[in-house]
Amino acid sequence: MSTTTLTPTALPPSSHEFSEVIHRLEAGGSMLPDTPDNLKQIIGIYKAYAVPMDFYWRDLLYIAERVFLNPFPAFKYFISKDYLDRPNVYAGDTAELRIWRGQADAHPELRAFMEKGESNRKIPRLLHHLWHDRINMEFAEACMDAMLWHEDINPKFNAYLDSEEYRESSDRAIQAYFQGNPVMLGLYKLFPEMFREQVKKLSYYANLGLFWEVMAPVFFEMSDLYDEGKLTTVPEAMKFLVNGIFAVAGRPIYHHVDIRGECYEIIPKSQGFTWLYEAALPYVEAVFYRTAPFRGTKSYNAQAGQIPSRQQDFHYGILYADVFPVGSAGIPPTLLMQDMLHFLPDYLVEEYRQHGRGEDDILIQLGITFQRSMYNVTSAVIQALRAALLYPLDDPNPEHLKANRQFFEQQIDRFKRPEERLRDVQNQDYR
Amino acid sequence: MPNIVEIAVNTEGFSTLVAAVQAAGLVEALASPGPFTVFAPNDAAFAKLPPGTVQTLVDNPPQLARILKFHVVAGAYRQADLASMDNLISLESSPIPIRVHPVFEVKNSTVLAADIEASNGILHVIDTVILMG
Repeated sequence: MSTTTLTPTALPPSSHEFSEVIHRLEAGGSMLPDTPDNLKQIIGIYKAYAVPMDFYWRDLLYIAERVFLNPFPAFKYFISKDYLDRPNVYAGDTAELRIWRGQADAHPELRAFMEKGESNRKIPRLLHHLWHDRINMEFAEACMDAMLWHEDINPKFNAYLDSEEYRESSDRAIQAYFQGNPVMLGLYKLFPEMFREQVKKLSYYANLGLFWEVMAPVFFEMSDLYDEGKLTTVPEAMKFLVNGIFAVAGRPIYHHVDIRGECYEIIPKSQGFTWLYEAALPYVEAVFYRTAPFRGTKSYNAQAGQIPSRQQDFHYGILYADVFPVGSAGIPPTLLMQDMLHFLPDYLVEEYRQHGRGEDDILIQLGITFQRSMYNVTSAVIQALRAALLYPLDDPNPEHLKANRQFFEQQIDRFKRPEERLRDVQNQDYR
Repeated sequence: MPNIVEIAVNTEGFSTLVAAVQAAGLVEALASPGPFTVFAPNDAAFAKLPPGTVQTLVDNPPQLARILKFHVVAGAYRQADLASMDNLISLESSPIPIRVHPVFEVKNSTVLAADIEASNGILHVIDTVILMG
């Protein structure tokens, strides 16, 4: 399943409008051109993304497993010490499959930020929170919401959420959670579906938390390899992601809830749900491609018809997003951009100073860098799917190469709409 | 006549598959009367997977079992039976596309040896581990 073989393709040139990109994918490359500047930008932003992500996955699991159905979850972003210390399954000495050579508990930069924040003052966490000097956890929840709402993209997982077995196990957990609380138990009796829907949502918190528990160490390791001079091209960076995707593809996706020290298996590992099929692929579809229209760029007016009526036609993910209005009202990715701002490596800050309006429009510059980097992640997903479902790039059989090309063309067809940014990221001046 | 599991155990080149079937706890199921059609990846097929993939699966038996069940179909189908069919529904419940002409291909794998008879079904040896999706 090599992705770097550079054999000249045995097929006639593609006539696709993005034929250049198709040919690059066929040669084992990425949708993103292989330039040193692109490499620097994407790796730097992976690092800046991984630190808040290290918080996102921990807090998502904390909410799914501990906060659970708390009707007033005012402190759901105040994760407990054991969730900050919780060893990442893929980092540190305790890992069975070690992706990042670093530590398994929360990243030191994250801990430092949580302690002192932007204001660089050691004040109680509650004050940091009220002063909005914190990680924007709402962004992680918005990603979770997109996965929950785009129902058609995760059929097996959703079928299980509707199964009798799931109803029974969530019923047990709901009863146990509200034990001794006649008001909530009474409400549950009156409106059982309202509670069940909340539990389903919490299962998606767990799903996304388990997904990002993998991506954070992958990005940290890529950043370390780049610093050591061991990642030197964009295709190498993509290949590292492809290998990471395959290595953990079979990781179980589950939802366990901890109620008074007892574990309730709402989705047991024995259901056979996997990281690749039930988390990674639905995540990419929900967050990179679809999400929901930005309140600040589209009208939800039903008469205006700006928003498609079919969910499959949603195209508001990062691959299509207009990044220039980042920082203004109604543009949700601003939350993430502001989170990443705190953890940029020096070489990226230096780069941003030399372009655009320097540090004044840094949120926009890093947003565009982020878009570039997600084109590279999506390329890795496309190459991984091609390797899993189709043929090697150096396959001697021309029929097989034709099937690969058809697959690549189908994937790139999704960028044939006016909102696409694939053309923009081909150009180094897009900043 | 030996059953599907016995054939895999006694034939050279299937040690990874046998180990995986054992780890997933599917030995009993595949030794039951069936009948089944099994698309059996050989050791070289497993070796083509990137590092870590098999390890993660072996560490997680239910997830491994799901991938293995995608290689099994209820009923005995010989190559000739498949000539008129486009796909089969696996025990995992996802469809497996099949092409018999000009080469016998199962999804993105090529059949290396077809129609191996077992007491409880048929085995076809394939050169690539197939995956759902």
